[in-house]
Amino acid sequence: MVTLESILSHTADHLVLVVMTLIISICISMPLAFGSLYNKRFGYVVTKFANLAQAVPSFAVVALVVPLMGIGFYPAVVAILLRALLPIIKNTYIGLSTVDPSMLDYADGIGLNEWQILRYVRLPNAYPAIFAGIKFAFILINSIAILTAYIGSGGLGELIFQGLVAFNNEKILAGAIPAILIAIAFDIIFTRIERKLTPHYRK
Amino acid sequence: MPSKRLFDRIDSIQLRGVTKKYDDRFAINDVSIDIEGGELVIFIGPSGSGKTTTLRMINRLIEPDSGTILINDQNVMELEPVALRRNIGYVIQSIGLFPHMTIAENIGLVAKLEGWNEKKIKDRVKYLLDFVSLPSEMFMDRYPHQLSGGQQQRVGLARALLMDPPLLLMDEPFGALDPILRKQLQEEFYQIREKLGKTIIFVTHDIEEAFKLGDRIAIMDDAKLVQIGTAEELIFHPVNEMVASIVDSGKKFKHLDTLKIKDLISPLECMYVHDGSLDIESAISSMIEKNIEIAVVSNGSGPLGIVKLIDLLRMEDKDSKIADHVVEIPSFSRNELLSSSLKIMQKNGHSMAFVMTDEKLSGFLFPNDAFSQVIG
Repeated sequence: MVTLESILSHTADHLVLVVMTLIISICISMPLAFGSLYNKRFGYVVTKFANLAQAVPSFAVVALVVPLMGIGFYPAVVAILLRALLPIIKNTYIGLSTVDPSMLDYADGIGLNEWQILRYVRLPNAYPAIFAGIKFAFILINSIAILTAYIGSGGLGELIFQGLVAFNNEKILAGAIPAILIAIAFDIIFTRIERKLTPHYRK
Repeated sequence: MPSKRLFDRIDSIQLRGVTKKYDDRFAINDVSIDIEGGELVIFIGPSGSGKTTTLRMINRLIEPDSGTILINDQNVMELEPVALRRNIGYVIQSIGLFPHMTIAENIGLVAKLEGWNEKKIKDRVKYLLDFVSLPSEMFMDRYPHQLSGGQQQRVGLARALLMDPPLLLMDEPFGALDPILRKQLQEEFYQIREKLGKTIIFVTHDIEEAFKLGDRIAIMDDAKLVQIGTAEELIFHPVNEMVASIVDSGKKFKHLDTLKIKDLISPLECMYVHDGSLDIESAISSMIEKNIEIAVVSNGSGPLGIVKLIDLLRMEDKDSKIADHVVEIPSFSRNELLSSSLKIMQKNGHSMAFVMTDEKLSGFLFPNDAFSQVIG
């Protein structure tokens, strides 16, 4: 028997884990992407590292963190982070760098400085790509956060693993359904924020 | 932070032995030019001849390897680039409007960065839009993709005028427009130029445009300035074959009296024709979609006249038929003599006419264009 309290408390743990990881990954990815824009060499290193982290299977990343950091909440955050960085870095970088050159030329020609070009031209043009990256990163974070229950992160994964071990379908669903709802809810919220930020300038 | 007003008026612009190399190739080779305040100087030449590079050196988008550029005797290399550029209007062929900003935001951006208050920006933007014949209430809140090419180019000009710069740099501003639209904008630009009273440096590859708009024309070839002078000087005293071929001196002997309208016709494309029963609202959207500034109004059997997009936009009653707002223009047969037709048009102040072939509309005649082709 799964109690409602147990579902709610696991959902709350899960939410803390995924939201915190998302915020940290945005905070790390954005400066790396901006840095890559202004320094080719730095960008090369960042992309290589992020691609590498992405190439390792999710479950292997989760396992690899254990010998380095042990088990628990924070090792889980690090494991998830490693996978979530790439989509945000890559999309942000692509969004910022693929701006129509005539627009940049014009911005330069009317006397915008480097910071103003970033703020008024590059960034608004990159919003759609950045949001796509963040949404994709969240899907990864949400699903890997299930796996990290294996190394003691808590959250909805715990219910699922308990259910799997005990052949308890009810428990599996009690873990899986809230996880799916979180994914959907997040997508809706972020699409709203995106619409707010980007005016309807394209049909 | 407001940047310094570097010059209220232009007394002179001097290029002294300006040279720029990319690897081993000269982009500009030892170019010296004196430009007076209030002049409109046109740079023309084959692509790669250095005309755009020269233009872009004046606002330091490109910096010379050697030589100096002086504006009012101040070396541009000693001026702060951001301040310099905010004191110079800049218009480019691709316009470079920011798609995520409304027209008002596009025009007012630099004023906002200069710390103007919202009211002042709004007033200035309104004034500029009206100045370039775009009714401000209609256009301020639109996005660039909702505008036709000609309207976008007008916004480009309004944007360049924002800070009331005494100097304008224009890099093939009409180059991307279709021929009829280009003529229309050249015509408008020619008229507002007087009101502007600015020094203008203008790059083009179109010699007719150069003859029509320029006070002096600078011909560039292979990174060098070949000759600079008025249209007459270039036509009658070209320094070499290359200049002669650009200004096509052979044509000056062509006798106007022998030319017929069909020699100088601008052919009609069917997208220009709109039925007279169309209401104004649909005509406007059709014209914007087709990217045309004028439309021929037809009653099924023949043309009634024309309507201009800028006039339609100003109409109060958007439900009325365009047939009721037609401007009549003369029409001539394609075999009539050019000289007599031009005389009639000049007398009545018409800037365009229909050309008919067997009672059917087949094209337009633009006197200014015809004239510049004849002298060019």
